[in-house]
Amino acid sequence: MKVSKKIVLLGHFGVGKSSLIRRFVENTFSEDYKVTIGVHIFKKNITIPEQGTDVSLVIWDLEGNDDITNTRLSYLLGTHAFIYVYDVTRPATYESLESEINFLKEKQKNTSITVVGNKEDLVTKAYLKQNSGNFGSLTDLYVSAKTGDKVDLLFSNLAEALIK
Amino acid sequence: MLKEYIKKYTKPLVQYSILDFDGNILESDNALFPEFKKKHIGDIHPFFEIITPLLIAEENETIFSCIHLNIENKEITSDILLQTFEDGKHPLLIIHDLTSHYNNYQTTAQVRNESVINSQILELKNTYLKEKESFKNTFIANFSHELRDPLTGILTFTDILSKTNLDLQQKDYVQILNSSSGFLKKMIDDILDISIIESGNLELSIEPFNFIELLNEIKFNYKIKAEQKGLEFHYSFDEKLPEIIGGDAKRLRQVLTNLLDNALKFTKDGSITFNVSLNQLRARKASIHFEVTDTGVGLKKEDLDTIFTSFSQVNNDDTIKGTGLGLAIVKYLVELTKSEIKVSSEYGKGSTFSTNINFVATPSLKLDKVKSNKKDLPSASRKYNILLVEDSQITQLSVLKILASNGLFFLDIVTNPEDALARISNIDSEVDLVLMDIKLKEFQGDDIAKQIRKLPERHQRKVPIVAMTAKVFKEDLKHYKKIGINDVLKKPFNQSQLLDVIARNLK
Repeated sequence: MKVSKKIVLLGHFGVGKSSLIRRFVENTFSEDYKVTIGVHIFKKNITIPEQGTDVSLVIWDLEGNDDITNTRLSYLLGTHAFIYVYDVTRPATYESLESEINFLKEKQKNTSITVVGNKEDLVTKAYLKQNSGNFGSLTDLYVSAKTGDKVDLLFSNLAEALIK
Repeated sequence: MLKEYIKKYTKPLVQYSILDFDGNILESDNALFPEFKKKHIGDIHPFFEIITPLLIAEENETIFSCIHLNIENKEITSDILLQTFEDGKHPLLIIHDLTSHYNNYQTTAQVRNESVINSQILELKNTYLKEKESFKNTFIANFSHELRDPLTGILTFTDILSKTNLDLQQKDYVQILNSSSGFLKKMIDDILDISIIESGNLELSIEPFNFIELLNEIKFNYKIKAEQKGLEFHYSFDEKLPEIIGGDAKRLRQVLTNLLDNALKFTKDGSITFNVSLNQLRARKASIHFEVTDTGVGLKKEDLDTIFTSFSQVNNDDTIKGTGLGLAIVKYLVELTKSEIKVSSEYGKGSTFSTNINFVATPSLKLDKVKSNKKDLPSASRKYNILLVEDSQITQLSVLKILASNGLFFLDIVTNPEDALARISNIDSEVDLVLMDIKLKEFQGDDIAKQIRKLPERHQRKVPIVAMTAKVFKEDLKHYKKIGINDVLKKPFNQSQLLDVIARNLK
């Protein structure tokens, strides 16, 4: 059995949304920053071994925005899950985390939201602990697109949750 | 003909396709993508997977802007419009190729985002550096505070020991103790000074002082020091120098002695020359030139830029001791006067350090206006009751020994607020002055001071309080004043400093 799920990545610009997707889909990483405008759409098929289910993840890489309310709402149509990405090194990207998440919850009441702190390779564990108050209790996972740490885990956990 | 040209040169930018309600492509002009036919729309590109649920028989227009499509090895950035109809007509899909327009937008966004991110990163780096600097200064202040208690003990008891009956060998030992602890004190003072200066907390005072007297005193001390090292000491003080000038005498002395110490340190043979001359004397300003020349090891050209940096020592000779802070302090202090320190040097032959500093100089500056902090102890018809609030046994003993040797004081020692307040409130024996350690292990001395100032009896709450502390940053001093502390005794202190501060504050 094969199912298709739409996942949308959101967050401020420069937080590494495209890099996370490239790491997951192509297993590559580039230090060069290329601004995403509009939306790029990728597809990757994965198998959930426990259920023996093939899942086709259609991943929407939205352009970064420092105000989520400016997001084009047509991009959100038919979304099964959101991944909200911020950059653990740049406070501007997580300062309004709570209100951004609330906006998403309001717009898509029944869609799951996974909050991810990217670029964890640039900071120490102690830094993450010290700043956990700033990131809020909302963060589900710290990842690194650069090293690949927990990137596969992020998408496979999400896929598994989506077919339950 | 025209039709042929139009056909040949028109680049199609819009593609029209008709779909059925399941998402199969029924018809397409294939203007952009030739293979856009007889397929399920969802198989063409993953974007179109979200189209299928929207294919219903209702009048509706859905626009998707700036969608990147990569189909049949052709990449475009497009706006996509899906039009559905309520009368059962099949849905219409229109793809607008707006690649050129969006590429321009991408370039603008790239510049803008990079600029915002770079400025955020720069701001973060600045914040990080400030935090690091602040941590360093706090660390140094706390660390030097911890060193000051034991050092007070060493200095006090070395002083007391030197006044007992000692044989010659013992006197030599005490002399070594004395000079070593003096050196240690100088290093701690330098480290604390640097932390105060680097945190921007140092302000120079402008008070009248006897400039010629200060120069003569420095000359006298360094002539002896130079001769003890077998060096010649030359000096020249311009006759036109004003006797009384306004400025920060303490910091000027620090600049000059640091320069002379540096010259002494790096000169093994030859001489040290100390010249002071008047550049200009105007209505209210005197510009004075200071110069210290030595015939020491000199400096290599590449070292000239680093000698004024904190903790830098360009000479790796282990026999030359120091923290590497002396010249850094000189540079900072001279710069606070809006001047600069200059150095010229020849490696192996010696160096000259010079600076021009402006002072206040007006005929109205008189010696009798020079403020003196010195005050003799009042002649006593009775002994004074001093209350010491201190939990360090070393400091307790030091104060006890100094006051006991003087014979004018009774000393009570307490270590907590309750005992302090109880002792001050004792009506049978009035406390004349409180010596208060600010950083007790379990209590804050400034909190106790606040409680004293709230006591019901006027003479009790007005008792003079002297803070004993190593925390003498500008904001600390402001804080002490605000909570009613009358004076501050900086740790480590010696006998005369303790007696002076008591004399100044006794009523």
